[in-house]
Amino acid sequence: MSVAAPTNPGAGTGPAETTDPAGAARATEAGYRARWTWDRVTWGTHCLNCLAGCPYRVYTRDGVVAFEEQGGTIDPVTASVPDMNPLGCQKGGAWSVQLASEDRVLHPLRRVGERGSGQWERISWEEALTAIADTVVTAIDEDGPESVVFEESVEGGLLAQAPFLRLASLLGAVTLDANGLVNDLPTGQHLTFGKFSCASTVDDTFLADVLLLWHANPAYTSIPYHHFISEARYRGARVVAIAPDYNASAVGSDLYVPVRPGTDAALALSMCRVLLDEDLWDRGFVATQTDLPLLVREDTGRFLRQRDVERGGSEEAFYLWDQATGLVPAPRGTLDLGGVDPALSGSFAVTLADGTQAQVTPVMDRLRAHLDAYSPEDASAVCGVAPGTIRTLARTVAGRRCKILEGFNGPKYYHGDLMERSMCLLLALTGNWGRSGSGIQGLALAGLDGYLLFSMKTRTGVEETARVLDGVDQAMEGLRQRDPEATDEMLGNNLLALATSSGTSAPPVFFNFHHAGYDQTWNRSEWSDPAMTKPFGSYLQDAVRRGWWGGVARPGASQPPRVLFSVGTNPLRRARGGRARLVDTLWPKLDMVVVVDFRMSATALHADIVLPAAMQYERVNVQYPITHMLRLSFSDAATEPRGESRTEWQIFSALARAIAERAEARDLATYVDARRQTRHAERLGDDFVLGGALASDEDVLDEWVRDSADAGTLPAGSTVDELRRVGSLRFTGLGVFAPGLSVAADVRPDDVMTAFSWHVERLLPFPTLTRRAQFYIDHPWFIEGGEVLPVHKDPPRMGGEWPLVLTSGHARWTVHSIGMGNRHLLGTHRGQPLVILSEPDAAAREVRDGDSVRVANDHGQFEAMARVTPRVRPGQVIVYNGFEPHMFPRWEGANEVEPGMVKWLHLVGKYGHLRYLPFGWQPVPADRAVFVEVTRVARGGAAGGHGEEA
Amino acid sequence: MFTYSLQGLELSTDVAGPTEVEENETTARSAVYQVLGSFFAATPAERDAGAASGRWSQELVAAAELLPFAFDIGEVPAPGGSPGADGGLGADALLGGEATPDRDAEVAAVCREYEYFGLAAGADGARPADHLATELDFLQYLCFREAATPSPRLAVSFRRAQRDFLDRHVLEWVSRLAERAGAEGAGKPVLWALERLVAFVTADRAYVAARLGS
Repeated sequence: MSVAAPTNPGAGTGPAETTDPAGAARATEAGYRARWTWDRVTWGTHCLNCLAGCPYRVYTRDGVVAFEEQGGTIDPVTASVPDMNPLGCQKGGAWSVQLASEDRVLHPLRRVGERGSGQWERISWEEALTAIADTVVTAIDEDGPESVVFEESVEGGLLAQAPFLRLASLLGAVTLDANGLVNDLPTGQHLTFGKFSCASTVDDTFLADVLLLWHANPAYTSIPYHHFISEARYRGARVVAIAPDYNASAVGSDLYVPVRPGTDAALALSMCRVLLDEDLWDRGFVATQTDLPLLVREDTGRFLRQRDVERGGSEEAFYLWDQATGLVPAPRGTLDLGGVDPALSGSFAVTLADGTQAQVTPVMDRLRAHLDAYSPEDASAVCGVAPGTIRTLARTVAGRRCKILEGFNGPKYYHGDLMERSMCLLLALTGNWGRSGSGIQGLALAGLDGYLLFSMKTRTGVEETARVLDGVDQAMEGLRQRDPEATDEMLGNNLLALATSSGTSAPPVFFNFHHAGYDQTWNRSEWSDPAMTKPFGSYLQDAVRRGWWGGVARPGASQPPRVLFSVGTNPLRRARGGRARLVDTLWPKLDMVVVVDFRMSATALHADIVLPAAMQYERVNVQYPITHMLRLSFSDAATEPRGESRTEWQIFSALARAIAERAEARDLATYVDARRQTRHAERLGDDFVLGGALASDEDVLDEWVRDSADAGTLPAGSTVDELRRVGSLRFTGLGVFAPGLSVAADVRPDDVMTAFSWHVERLLPFPTLTRRAQFYIDHPWFIEGGEVLPVHKDPPRMGGEWPLVLTSGHARWTVHSIGMGNRHLLGTHRGQPLVILSEPDAAAREVRDGDSVRVANDHGQFEAMARVTPRVRPGQVIVYNGFEPHMFPRWEGANEVEPGMVKWLHLVGKYGHLRYLPFGWQPVPADRAVFVEVTRVARGGAAGGHGEEA
Repeated sequence: MFTYSLQGLELSTDVAGPTEVEENETTARSAVYQVLGSFFAATPAERDAGAASGRWSQELVAAAELLPFAFDIGEVPAPGGSPGADGGLGADALLGGEATPDRDAEVAAVCREYEYFGLAAGADGARPADHLATELDFLQYLCFREAATPSPRLAVSFRRAQRDFLDRHVLEWVSRLAERAGAEGAGKPVLWALERLVAFVTADRAYVAARLGS
């Protein structure tokens, strides 16, 4: 079956040369009518990592996708907010074009030349799977299953991810945590709240009085949701864009606040200072929700713990100073203070367990003193925002419902955690979370219980679901016995931690350090935090030796990686540190690189075997659960997969069978992994499909949907048939597992969902060390680093002493590199990588718009076309995310100048909430605020020699 | 003791638990589905013979004794005339899929329901998965499992499944089937049974929904 790209309506369909105007008109009309006809309509969505799952209607004609359009059928939730329709954007609207893109992979391919040489031979599926299976069996036999490494993916939908995760789990392989690879991890939110699922449904945006677009450019990146911002303005909300550049979202704002790159913490902390100075803060909220009333010892700078006061006391119990009665334990099972009126200032004497006395002060007192350094005038000198603007902004937020719309820019700064902690402090002081129209809207993930149950079930059906859920209940009860004051959310986290210690997921920091050459850059002290007293590698070694990373620091230094699977991921485009590092350092260690993708990505170009995956519209799938929408979006098979492409379920179930056959043939029926668990290679094929019960994608999806309905996440009785009929289903609950519970909100059919409302309305404690929103991190390393309280630190000189600071962001025209092969989308911009710089910087370097320029620093270089614009501030350079390396001369992409530095403090573990859980707390690479120089290479034209040599 | 038996479905797992439980309201519902299923599984001759002997009414009366809602069984009329091989219905009248635009899709849908709840449609040559008797067998099974399971979680799951299966499948077509049977001159026992069936599934659906609070 073939797939045709939609054609221009009317083009080529009528007699263009006719001299009969009426005839021409009729022909044009006929052309349009022919163009917009169809014989089948299905639901489709695109399962991209864009935090949306927009339901589209997909129209097919003669088995070929003709076009798609936004569904616009989502019912209003409540009359108090606008509905979500019409969800969608230009990327989704052009998806069908990409079905026939030239970069589609249509057949299994095997490399016949050098890696990256572009020489391939077409092979059969059987040949491909047998070759991979043999390599995997050899690797397991010689170096154990941990030598087989899978890159986790966040693209492609749940039915693209589940299959390889299942195979990895059955093999005992290692999966590199996706968030440690892509760094969408809001570490500052995690440090504060013990979690980062802080996002309400996106219609809650409408209810805000003040919207701060901070580290976000929603006009580019949240197109389906952007209308809520405009609608909120009409309701009377004040929209403030805080960004170094005058971006597309700033255009539609009431106030644009230009901040120097990497100085957002100074701005936020100065606003906090104004709130305190002018007594504009919410004392009750602060006392109830945060750790600011907790007592700190003046001698040690650490919290006063029960262990200090009582022999054998707990390390994780803390104290308040009741203004009526003195020292009282801070409740751990609730945020309700009862009759306690905690002091927020003062110094008090406490008798310690050894009989000595110590002076203690509330954190709030320390915060006040700490903020002395952030007067608007002092902060202005750092962040470049006028003192009057800082004061005005603080007063604007005070007493109003304020929501911060944060994208994924903040976490990608080296000190992005400090920025986020400061932003959260601003929200705390103004009482702005857990109430409608408030909070911080960033990563918006929840759980789909059926998906989470999937790996625990040993057979299909409701009986097994009940058995597993009963087991979960029992395990939770067991954990509750140990900590009766823990909430279900905390117990869910503890349960997840137990599962993680025996699972496949591993933070990639260890793999990258030991095997991918990152030790060379991470140990460069001149690119790191000046507070570090020893090389990064020493901290890493220290953290592992202290047991902070338990059994997840793998594959370790002595465990060689042998096989790398990249399924819908694209490390050679994405990896901070550059393509060259991986190709030069990691690739030679690998017996085989296997890429499963629908397109010839940069990584596929350097693979040994490329397996063609079916695209959305060619297979069934669902998008991962997103609290923005709170809907499970379905994508149907509107047409047959092109060429020989297959779904990931088909691919990995066949690979499981192939591995089982090859293992048996080579006398490796069973083997023991590094955790001394016996694995059964000979059963792999059957175990993968549960003896045949999960023969198809649809079988798997139906099981997920039914289980989710049974567990209460989806409407009772939901099935894949129902999804197929309606396109998407609104969640009815957030489930029984940790990812859903962490949103801490009720899901009501007739209301917006407000994240953290359980903390504010029910006063349920936070899953942090102190069980409160925690701004004081008294871990010894944080004390050493001077980051006990949120503080501004200049970005480290990543890349060297160069005059310009390179930032980035998600592009408007593509989701990462997915749309780079889409001709429609390429036609909406210059179609090639751009280096966007200010007019003064361009003039100083004799660069004109359209010139080819070289961006370079001590780490690497790349060349691209210059785009000169007044919207970028002097000193800043922007390269938007997503361009493939092979779109640049010499295949040197923008990540060649990014060292990908990792913050040492993120190696801390075993400190309350600072512990690894999948997709959560872990060291993540920074790529914003890299220092570079730009020089002209050629006049006009594209980079790479098309212009006149400079 | 109530004993359940499946005629058109097979257990696909070993988790079914006991086959007998103390009689109660839920086993009564299961028993009514069992009798009605038997009726529609029977050949026309068997139906007529059962009507003439009073078997159907006796079995229904016994089954319905503990029902939690009113259910008028009425008198089974004596068969009259010769309605034909299918009791006056067309050959495919008892197939739910025939009442939908896409029978294959309907068969696939009911099979998914059976499989998720631990059953499989009969082997080759067995009664079709979308046959009315098979669907009633399934409801018999769901009620029985609700009564038999020691797990409160599973009991709710089975109860919800009854409501959803009635809504999605049985209630979607039995009323039209009854009307059609009347229009096409089906035999009196068939008309009686269809009338009883429509009344029962309607009342049962309301009862289950009330227990679920929806």
